[in-house]
Amino acid sequence: MTPRMQQISQLDRVIHEPARLAIMLILGGAGDADFLYLQREGGFTQGNLSGHLAKLEEAGYVEIEKKFKGKVPLTVCSLTGKGRTAFAEYSNRMLGLLQSNGACGSPRP
Amino acid sequence: MKNSAIPIASPGRRAASYWFVDGLPDILLGMTLLIFGGVGLWWGIHLSKSATQPDFFLIAAGVLLLYWKERGILDFLKSRLTYPRSGYVRPPEDLSEIGLPNTLTALSLKPWPPSDENVTHFRTRTVLVVFWWCLLLCRDSRWNRWFTLLATPALAVALYAWNRNSEHPYRWWSTLILALTGPTLLLTEAPLPVQPLLMPLLAGVWLVAQGACTLVGYLRANPYPRTQEGVSA
Repeated sequence: MTPRMQQISQLDRVIHEPARLAIMLILGGAGDADFLYLQREGGFTQGNLSGHLAKLEEAGYVEIEKKFKGKVPLTVCSLTGKGRTAFAEYSNRMLGLLQSNGACGSPRP
Repeated sequence: MKNSAIPIASPGRRAASYWFVDGLPDILLGMTLLIFGGVGLWWGIHLSKSATQPDFFLIAAGVLLLYWKERGILDFLKSRLTYPRSGYVRPPEDLSEIGLPNTLTALSLKPWPPSDENVTHFRTRTVLVVFWWCLLLCRDSRWNRWFTLLATPALAVALYAWNRNSEHPYRWWSTLILALTGPTLLLTEAPLPVQPLLMPLLAGVWLVAQGACTLVGYLRANPYPRTQEGVSA
């Protein structure tokens, strides 16, 4: 196995799935966000988002907290420290792969 | 989700612009200017005109109160109006408060890790700009008429240009209306007590009108959900 293939195989599969990557990106940029915001921002269905959040929570990347704002119940999600580290590692690995392939410059015709 | 006029790709900037999606920050700032400007006007008309001008101090008190309580008031209103309809996201930090950007790494094809972008420039680029323009006009009533002529278009240009690439851009035609109201009002003879407060009252009306339009658009685009969301995770 070439080193590049080895790097690809080491990518975090929990994050690599597009829907979960979108959730990590949104939470990475926003901080905390509730279920409804994530659903609308990412274009998820309720069940789909619920399933992906469960996987991220299981991996310890996302913390889900039930709280209230005024009298409104909110299911607030946020990245954990482990999740931030994993996301940073994933980003660096992916960037390294793309840069080594010359994919970070101008788009090819 | 209906958002600001300029599409923002970055999740952090989208989260920051979400704070303005319902127009409530504009309405609150506009109402502050109108209330405190109105009290100043009432003071000028009904109470004795002392050597010290109460107008400026009242506007300053209003802006300080806004700085102090803005987040709490908006959070209270948003928790009843916005969050049940389109969800909650952490309110943006003020850039001046967080200082240097932290090193949160997100997926980006840039050679450096992007900073946390969920920050707002609203206080420095809108609240303070309006405040300093009002301060200019409240200081010396002899110049009010001509200052209004020049300052209203200048305020409109400043608000448009400085916020153009921010999380809360103003539409060009909206700022054009503000720019034209100053010279238009100059053609009408405003009573003397009104003149020092023309700018804060104008800015207040403009902000409330702008926020109200945004709020109506938001309420139409985001009806109240029939069932409460829930996560099974």
